[in-house]
Amino acid sequence: MKILVCVKQVPDMESKFKIDSSSKWYDQSDLVYKINEYDEYAAEEAVRLKEKVSGSELTVLSIGPERVKDAIRKVLAMGADKGIHILDNEEHLKDPFQKASAIAEYAKSENFDIIFTGLQSQDRGSAQLAPLLAGMLNYSFVSTVVAFENKEGYVEVARELEGGLRAKVKVKLPAVVACQLGLNTPRYPTLPNIMKAKRKELKTVNIEELLKVEPLIETEKVYFPERKAGGIVLEGKADEMADELIKILKEKTQVVK
Amino acid sequence: MSELLKGGEFLIREVSKDEVFTPEDLSSEQKQMMETTEQFIKNEVMPDVDAMDNSNHNFDLLVSHMKQAGELGLFSIYAPEEYDGLDLGLTTGACVVEKIAPAGSFSVAYAAHVGIGSLPLIYYGTKEQKEKYLPKLVSGEWIAAYCLTEPDAGTDALGMRAVAKLSDDGKYYILNGTKQFITNGSIADLYTVFAKTPEGEYVAFLVERNFEGVSVGREEDKMGIRGSSTAQIMFDNAKIPVENLLGKVGEGHKIAFQVLDEGRFVLGAAAVGAAKAALEDAVVYANDRKQFGMPLTKFGAIKEKIADMVSGIYSAESLAYRLAGLYDERVSTIDVGKDDPDYYKYYHKALEDYAVECSITKVYCSELLDKVADEVVQIYGGYGFIKEYPAERYYRDSRINRIFEGTNEINRYLVPGMLLKKGMKGELPLVQKAKEALDIMMTPSFEELDESVRFIKEKTLISNLKTMFLVLAGAAVQKYMDKIKNEQEVLFALADMAIGIFSMESAVLRADKVYDKVSDAKKKIFESAVKVATFNLNEDIAKAAKKAAYFVEEGDNLMAIISGIRRFTKYDASGLLQAKRELANYTIENAKYPF
Ligand SMILES: Cc1cc2nc3c(=O)[nH]c(=O)nc-3n(C[C@H](O)[C@H](O)[C@H](O)COP(=O)(O)OP(=O)(O)OC[C@H]3O[C@@H](n4cnc5c(N)ncnc54)[C@H](O)[C@@H]3O)c2cc1C
Ligand SMILES: Cc1cc2nc3c(=O)[nH]c(=O)nc-3n(C[C@H](O)[C@H](O)[C@H](O)COP(=O)(O)OP(=O)(O)OC[C@H]3O[C@@H](n4cnc5c(N)ncnc54)[C@H](O)[C@@H]3O)c2cc1C
Repeated sequence: MKILVCVKQVPDMESKFKIDSSSKWYDQSDLVYKINEYDEYAAEEAVRLKEKVSGSELTVLSIGPERVKDAIRKVLAMGADKGIHILDNEEHLKDPFQKASAIAEYAKSENFDIIFTGLQSQDRGSAQLAPLLAGMLNYSFVSTVVAFENKEGYVEVARELEGGLRAKVKVKLPAVVACQLGLNTPRYPTLPNIMKAKRKELKTVNIEELLKVEPLIETEKVYFPERKAGGIVLEGKADEMADELIKILKEKTQVVK
Repeated sequence: MSELLKGGEFLIREVSKDEVFTPEDLSSEQKQMMETTEQFIKNEVMPDVDAMDNSNHNFDLLVSHMKQAGELGLFSIYAPEEYDGLDLGLTTGACVVEKIAPAGSFSVAYAAHVGIGSLPLIYYGTKEQKEKYLPKLVSGEWIAAYCLTEPDAGTDALGMRAVAKLSDDGKYYILNGTKQFITNGSIADLYTVFAKTPEGEYVAFLVERNFEGVSVGREEDKMGIRGSSTAQIMFDNAKIPVENLLGKVGEGHKIAFQVLDEGRFVLGAAAVGAAKAALEDAVVYANDRKQFGMPLTKFGAIKEKIADMVSGIYSAESLAYRLAGLYDERVSTIDVGKDDPDYYKYYHKALEDYAVECSITKVYCSELLDKVADEVVQIYGGYGFIKEYPAERYYRDSRINRIFEGTNEINRYLVPGMLLKKGMKGELPLVQKAKEALDIMMTPSFEELDESVRFIKEKTLISNLKTMFLVLAGAAVQKYMDKIKNEQEVLFALADMAIGIFSMESAVLRADKVYDKVSDAKKKIFESAVKVATFNLNEDIAKAAKKAAYFVEEGDNLMAIISGIRRFTKYDASGLLQAKRELANYTIENAKYPF
């Protein structure tokens, strides 16, 4: 099987974010980057599939500046066979349509049987790339995948629905599979595998070579929402506080008439 | 670039930023290994740390996590590739151990296994011995321990009494004796044991736990690292096959001390990791905890603690990785191949050269960790004293680091001792440099600082402090001559100066090296850390220098030296408060160690 997994590198979500000077994105300096959490599940599932189906080849792809090679290397250390780095220092300014087009451009001649992605990125959160990619390649598409099994000629997945429901879905190959958190337990790359990954092929392609389309959507600005006013803390004697509370409820709500 | 810095040489010449290795120079693979280790410790080990500590000497959890660590390859760093190792060197060793360190007891078990437990075999084992044991140690199937200390021979390890006598048929050594405080004692399968022959020659053995006559004594009830095993190992006419003699007869002490050197370095790196973890817990807590209607981190007193801790950790980290870089670079220049039977001889020569820096790292990092742990308890207030909160464990766990792998006294003692030895052997031109230093001190200087040079104030100070060190060391040697080894108070004061100088220089040169590559916000943080670290270290150095002067000199000489100290420890730390606040605020906002 020919398998592709697409991963994005995102900042540690516990970082303190600042808006950058263009107001189009957050300030990227001094952030610690890691693999988008959803993509770790995608990578793990891709590696498992590769290990199960003998003769398979797993490629890992990421778009972004030089630093995203670290994300690629991590997936190589998890078990992928080779890496494709689409070098783009302005990845953060591209819309999902452009990114999907670039990946499709690369993937169309490669004839992958299956492409794994995360459901969405932790920073942008558009969840558009995978369905767009499937559309462009004319592949089946399935999302919010929480269980995955490879069958003869098709794959069977469980999807997470609303209301605590799940759906068992048969998906024809070739397909794009967008993975939900909790799909599996991503492995820690072992030290020997980290060293082995160093010798695996990691090719860099410039974004210009793959990107042929204009964006469809444009981010005008990013901003922090205005803070909602904080709660009110009542202090004093119990009966006074009760009076105060009733007064507020009468004035500001419909609870007490 | 100038020639690779030799051991001890930092005290007699100016060092440039391009000569120091910094954490910012780590490779992508090293960073990934840190990430793997960090995740493993955070997700698998930390949740069990309290249970391990309270297990009452049941080591099932500890052992199961050791096996997991083996599966991840965390034991493979030093072993050669033909025995399933990765042979990655000390920098990688530091990276990994730093991330293991927050797990206290587990970290000690880990370090004893991969470090002092396995290294003797790696360095001195024959092919057969390595084939038999090393893959088992690398995979974690077997756990290793190092048995040097005895009830009556601790610091004075060579005063050991354990005796190994060759059997009449020449097939066995009959080993008798008791080893004290053996880390991993109860869980180890292979002990490296040091003893003497009846003729008084030192020997080392690879002793399997199941050999006849080997038994494990009672577990010690300890103040800290309570989840680790520390036990006596007894040898009662134990039969050790001659094939299990490690190295040659008469080499035992060399083997014991060589691995301790690396053990000390690794301990330093581990202390850095533990200090970072404790700091970060305290900052998160202080951001959360409100008194007087605001988080503790709003108070200047707490900010100052945080700034001092961060700058201290920054210096410790800078010096530990600097030494790691020196080690690995020196090792990379070894002429013979790794398959050469003499390879490790050259390897040790390389490492041995940095014994001074190694002792400095051990002392500075372990004492820094203790200070951090103490302040972390303080930030937690009453909750710092309560077991439910992590500060209490950090406080107890940190204390052992000043005692084992050579007490900090013996390491301090070694610093000037080894320097003087190098001077005597002609490896360092100490006498001549001391003379020059005295001239410099006696000559007034009106040179203005070239403000266009980055960190010029700090660089000038470092150069002055080196002069001061050489003047005092020269005065001490002149007064006591070869009896100086009996003057520990003097030697310790000199050691404290050398420790401070190496730390300060490492902190400054690291900032200087990475400065152009970091964001403007980060530049300010580096500047603040340098200022705070330089100020704090300089105050300590000045005190040690004065002490040394009063110890050694009197009359006019004393007055001249005291005024020299005044001149040469001058440091304009204008903006210190601002620097402390910036460093603290950055750490508080991000709730993380900033470097
Ligand atoms: C938890 C734990 C784990 C350990 N693990 C191991 C292990 O795995 N393997 C192993 O072999 N050992 C191990 N040790 C032993 C450890 O290395 C010794 O405790 C240490 O070397 C000190 O020896 P001692 O306890 O006998 O103290 P002593 O040697 O009695 O020292 C007591 C004090 O006197 C000072 N002192 C002694 N001699 C001098 C001197 N000449 N000049 C100035 N001051 C001096 C010391 O610095 C110290 O402050 C461990 C100890 C502990 C507590
Ligand atoms: C074993 C034990 C016994 C005790 N016994 C008693 C008892 O018998 N009766 C009793 O009433 N209490 C008792 N206490 C409580 C003890 O007095 C408090 O723990 C102590 O006052 C600190 O308060 P805290 O623990 O809430 O820490 P916090 O007030 O949260 O302080 C945490 C840290 O912040 C610092 N800090 C707080 N405010 C400021 C500020 N404005 N400026 C600068 N720094 C600040 C503190 O100095 C400390 O370092 C006991 C506590 C312990 C642990």
